[in-house]
Amino acid sequence: MKLENSKGYKRVLSWLKLNKKKPFKFQTDAWQYYAEGYSGLVNAPTGFGKTYSIFLAVVIDELNKRVEQQTTASKNKQKKNITGLKLIWITPLRSLAKDLARAMREVCDELQLDWVVGVRNGDTPQSEKLKQKKQMPEVLIITPESMHLLLAQKSTFNYFDQLQCIVADEWHELLGSKRGVMAELAISRIKGLLIEQHPERLLRIWGISATIGNMEQAMEVLVPYTDLLKTIIKSEIKKKIVIKSILPDHIDMLPWAGHLGHKLASKLIPIINNSKTTLIFTNTRGQAELWYQTLLNQDENLAGLLAIHHGSIDYELRNWIEDALHSGVLKAVVCTSSLDLGVDFKPVDTVVQIGSPKGVARFLQRAGRSGHSPHETSKIYFLPTHALELVEAAAIKEAAKTQDIESREPIVMSFDTLIQYLVTLAVGDGFDDEKIFFEIKQTHAFRELLPQEWNWIMQFITSGGDSLTAYNEFSKVNKTSDGLWKVESRQIAMRHRLHIGTIVSDAMLKVKYLKGGYVGMIEESFISRMKPGSSFTLAGRVLEFIMVKEMTVLVKKSKLKQAISPSWMGGRMSLTANLGNLLRKKYNETLDKQHGDEELDFILPLFEQQAKVSHVPKSDEFLIELINTKDGYHFFAYPFEGRQVHEIMAALIAYRLGRIQPISFSIAMNDYGFELLSEQPIPLEESNIKELFSPTNLTDDIVASINATEMARRKFRDIACISGLVFQGYPGKYVANKHMQSSSSLFFNVFSDYDKHNLLLRQSYDEAFYQQIEEPRLAAALHRIQASMIIIVKTESYTPLCFPIKVDSLRDNMSSEELSQRIGRMTAESEKKTRRKKKTNDH
Amino acid sequence: MTIDCKGEQLILNNERAIYWPARKMLIISDLHIGKSAHFRKSGIQVPNSINLTDLQRLTTLMAEFKPETLLITGDMFHNNINSDTNAFVYWRKNFAQLKVVLIKGNHDNLKDEDYDVLGIKVYQKELLIAPFRFIHDKPDQVDEYYNISGHIHPGVIIYGKAKQHLRFPCFYFGQNCAVLPAFSVFTGLKILDPKQGDRFYAITPAKVIAVKT
Repeated sequence: MKLENSKGYKRVLSWLKLNKKKPFKFQTDAWQYYAEGYSGLVNAPTGFGKTYSIFLAVVIDELNKRVEQQTTASKNKQKKNITGLKLIWITPLRSLAKDLARAMREVCDELQLDWVVGVRNGDTPQSEKLKQKKQMPEVLIITPESMHLLLAQKSTFNYFDQLQCIVADEWHELLGSKRGVMAELAISRIKGLLIEQHPERLLRIWGISATIGNMEQAMEVLVPYTDLLKTIIKSEIKKKIVIKSILPDHIDMLPWAGHLGHKLASKLIPIINNSKTTLIFTNTRGQAELWYQTLLNQDENLAGLLAIHHGSIDYELRNWIEDALHSGVLKAVVCTSSLDLGVDFKPVDTVVQIGSPKGVARFLQRAGRSGHSPHETSKIYFLPTHALELVEAAAIKEAAKTQDIESREPIVMSFDTLIQYLVTLAVGDGFDDEKIFFEIKQTHAFRELLPQEWNWIMQFITSGGDSLTAYNEFSKVNKTSDGLWKVESRQIAMRHRLHIGTIVSDAMLKVKYLKGGYVGMIEESFISRMKPGSSFTLAGRVLEFIMVKEMTVLVKKSKLKQAISPSWMGGRMSLTANLGNLLRKKYNETLDKQHGDEELDFILPLFEQQAKVSHVPKSDEFLIELINTKDGYHFFAYPFEGRQVHEIMAALIAYRLGRIQPISFSIAMNDYGFELLSEQPIPLEESNIKELFSPTNLTDDIVASINATEMARRKFRDIACISGLVFQGYPGKYVANKHMQSSSSLFFNVFSDYDKHNLLLRQSYDEAFYQQIEEPRLAAALHRIQASMIIIVKTESYTPLCFPIKVDSLRDNMSSEELSQRIGRMTAESEKKTRRKKKTNDH
Repeated sequence: MTIDCKGEQLILNNERAIYWPARKMLIISDLHIGKSAHFRKSGIQVPNSINLTDLQRLTTLMAEFKPETLLITGDMFHNNINSDTNAFVYWRKNFAQLKVVLIKGNHDNLKDEDYDVLGIKVYQKELLIAPFRFIHDKPDQVDEYYNISGHIHPGVIIYGKAKQHLRFPCFYFGQNCAVLPAFSVFTGLKILDPKQGDRFYAITPAKVIAVKT
């Protein structure tokens, strides 16, 4: 029978009609595919029924099954509906889980479906978890970590008896992180269990994802199984996005570089006042704090109506802010990216983006937050923090039209995650190594795993490491009499369960008032440098540091009005390749005036200045500026590949120049280019440029030029934690045995000296090369440069293009006042020199 | 590197030990024998070879200085007897004539009989040999004795150009107290803040160098 004619389908349709809703085509498509046994990926933006696309598919299926049962049962006696877990809904966002559960319960109630919807994650109370163990709800909303925790329990094979479907919500979010690998592994185990116990069962696996550049691959990663039919369903909803740049009255008002466009803050106030609710996005948490202060200084009336919200702020405070915004208590919120799991607000009226969002996907996600219905046009304001950012605005506009969106690279061969997983299984029901090897080889993350590597990992968890000698007294995973590998020590099992899901970057400490009340979280590295009595800002408040007690930072309200804003290490996003590409294109268009962008019109004088004193690079050109000033000999290059790549490239070029003759440099960079500054003339000519920027010998030269060991050591911090070598403090929850305190750095040294073939050590270097160094992107950039025409400009004063780089390098050593004065002087000097040049040329 | 401390000549060796020629005494701290085995018992994969390496380094020092006494300012054993201790027993047999003296530290929890069997003379709190007081954790009070202690596992950061920096274990000689680096390779570092009048000697892979404060 056709799906549309089935009872289940009709019931759902009439229910939707009752609520004055009509299903979108992508939703009914999803229901159809689901009914036909497909797995796959639904591509839909947040807030427009993506949940219903799969949830209702599962519901329809259940309703139809019951109708079938009833018709057969009426011939025999009444059969009771079988309870048990039918749908696992993986979501990375704990804050969303409650909302999801509520929405799903509503559906079940109104359809009179007697399903229980449960949530299981770090916030779930113990009593609730025990209830679930006794009787699993039909729908379980869960995080990847909690899925592993389930697998770390005994007798888990019973849980999945009735399972029909696993959904990975926000899959674009999980993809590209180790949590995605955790999801892949958990799915592989559950599928393995089902094949054993219910080989006739068809387990459907569905992902729900926002648009990214590699949708096909995203589906492959989630559903690598060749025995499953799969498809991608795209929502036809295209949100119209209008981007409006906030321009100063005159271009002179916008600095060539540097200080954060606070001068435009006054233009933001009317925008906030004219909207009911506004979200103001900044790129870093430090900037969020600064802008919060600036806006309050601009308009005192905002006090009490403006809040600040970023990942470091306490979860309860975040929830309060969210509710207050929608009830109208708050008018506007300054916040940071939602792409890194901090925030997921319901749609607001207006969105403001301060500074370049650095990437297309991020920008579209944020823009999507404005406008309450799918057919409404989203309006997003862009506030440039320096003149050149206006070109990025133009580039973003084009990207939004063409949907040129970045890919999320899946993580492969993360040995630390695999180690954690195996110990998890050993803590639970134990595992058969041959069976599990086969299972994990089916996942995308580990399909390339070699038997030797698998053996090393097995050895690592069973005998301690070295293939030649068993480690004395090492005890973790052992083979028991029933042939399975298990953890027999209760202490080790308990420690492992407490420790699952530790994916940490910098250790974060909770910040609390001495008299009580949480403020937020702050990096341990920032606090470790603070002296008692000094002040800092967090969550928009100025706080005085008292002391650290039991992994909590105690503070009190500071008497100062301003203080240093903690600069979060994780804050600096880099220009993506997609955006860099578009940027180079826009630079072309500005001078040719072939564009329709008002931003480029506005900035034209700056480009004309650049053309006059130097050159505006075309898409097929590579610009190098050699500038001699009283500060020294400057070498500026503009690859437009983002700050992260430039950091490596700059060190690489410095190293290669150093091979020509001994010379030392100080280095600066931004998203457009980099600078090498020396006291001596730089041995750079037309003849050797292509060689300097050659992709030959790249890996060796990178290793020689940067401190790869330090980068690997930093990556190793997470790896040591995930693989169980080191325990990060859980504030208030778990204090490590004082005899077992150690650091990841210690293990890095120990392995480097005594166990060079350690796979975790290798993983840290691999991660450094692919994630930090971005070697593929660097190589591609160098190839592009080889194919470009090199333009070398020699001049005696700073050009508009080099300005932002120069200023950025000064930023660390100066206060904001000193910096803006210095910028003013530099600008005046440059303009004076140009006018003088012009005068001489006019003769 | 040889330095003068309260009129006594002390040789600072880059295997993290001090040799006091006047008393033919080799002074180390925080040996933590048994630490790696302790971790392994708890399911953490620390290589076997660490303990052997530490003992090997001691042997090298013995050969270089030929001391009559080995003085350890605390934390000789990490927790309790385990397989690492056996290695020490064998090592001890090679140097039967050596006097081994231990000033107890917070990790030293063996029974008195165990120390006797190992031929170690134990001082519960401190040992005074003018002009020095040997103690595990540096005391608050200041008197005529110059304190030589351990416990902290001191380290120092040396800064280079372009925000580069390197961390090294170090010998710290302050106004009233010196702190020895932790002898064992399997220990972390606590970075100390150089103050006026302090002397820091960083232990680099090649040699011991004085750090300018």
